[in-house]
Amino acid sequence: MAKRAASTPLNMIGAVLATCLVAASALTVTYELTRERIIEQERAAERAALDAVLPGTGSIESAGELVAPATEAAGSVTLQGVYRAYDAAGALSGWGVRVAPRGYSGPVSMVVGLDRDGSVLGVSIITMSETPGLGTKIVTQEGWIEQFVGWQGADIDASAREFDAIAGATRSSAAVRNGVTAAGRVYAEVLSAEEGGAQ
Amino acid sequence: MREWIAVFKRGISIDNPLTVLMIGLCATLAVSTKLEGALFMGLAVIFVLGMSSIIVSSIRSLVPEQVRIPVFIVIIASFVTVVDLTMKAFLPDIYTFLGVWIPLIVVNCMILGRAEAFSYHQPVRLAIADGLGMGLGFSIVIVVLAAIRELFGSGEIVFLGARLIALPEWYRPPGVLLLFPGAFLVFGFISALAKWYNTRTSGRVVQTDAHCTIEEGVR
Repeated sequence: MAKRAASTPLNMIGAVLATCLVAASALTVTYELTRERIIEQERAAERAALDAVLPGTGSIESAGELVAPATEAAGSVTLQGVYRAYDAAGALSGWGVRVAPRGYSGPVSMVVGLDRDGSVLGVSIITMSETPGLGTKIVTQEGWIEQFVGWQGADIDASAREFDAIAGATRSSAAVRNGVTAAGRVYAEVLSAEEGGAQ
Repeated sequence: MREWIAVFKRGISIDNPLTVLMIGLCATLAVSTKLEGALFMGLAVIFVLGMSSIIVSSIRSLVPEQVRIPVFIVIIASFVTVVDLTMKAFLPDIYTFLGVWIPLIVVNCMILGRAEAFSYHQPVRLAIADGLGMGLGFSIVIVVLAAIRELFGSGEIVFLGARLIALPEWYRPPGVLLLFPGAFLVFGFISALAKWYNTRTSGRVVQTDAHCTIEEGVR
């Protein structure tokens, strides 16, 4: 067998330290090289999700100035963005709210589309890391996520009283519900007041 | 060179990580519902296994035995992160499908197992043969498994958006094939087939070789 470095403290510290240094620099380079592309891909995914939950809209714009009050309204649920949707004629037609409620294993990042009256038009999950086969049913179970359509943002707690959780994915289901209720609260406290002013 | 080929072939046939050694099964069973996902999973594993074998083998005399595991893990995790970031940037759809299983390659016992059992004791050229052979052995099995499950479980094979094969309309795909029991059933048949093939073609070699897989190359 080839001669091996002895397990002295100095050798051990040196080996681990050198490995970590080389690994860290290699990863920094990869991260820098891929960062732009990843941000671009994430933007495209977000755009696709917004298009899916806000059918028939002409253009969608980020409403950056509303993020601060909306974050407060969302409470314990992380808010990731607020979007205005305009119809083909250029009039405000609805809202997109991107939230990331806490799932079973990490945040479930999703977009909730609301029309001008605060009625939920659709929910689309962008990224999540739920248990494969169980928690992932929140995405794969057909028809499940449509149950949120029609929930009223102005009185979201009344809508949230009845809700079907998926067996085996209770906490993941609850995360999606929490996201929708947070979006409803954002509508009730921030967006509904904004609507009159925007026009 | 004959030794190199022997080591390389061993990973595909008599020491196949999936059908014979039965390691790294959980990711295999989970992602083998779609051919395209399985193919990229296989490529990711070949890359990580090949690269980590080269690095582990080339620094093996510098790494003291007591800290070898942390060093292996850092090396493997780095290559997995490279794959993870690259896939996220250039293949977002496939990344969404493979999801958590790409980062989980780090803890796939197959890769740490080869570093520990082979690369740490062998010269670089044999470590490359082992890494590539094992990776290819893994890929072949996972791709075959996924092709069978996708074709008979969903009635068609879709690859990068294009429809490769579709079964006739009257075929009603049994959904169980796409679920976990289906994965075990199909895998069981593949494993039995591999066993039958191995004993037929190199039955005697399996018996004598299995005990001295590592020492064989050292000499």
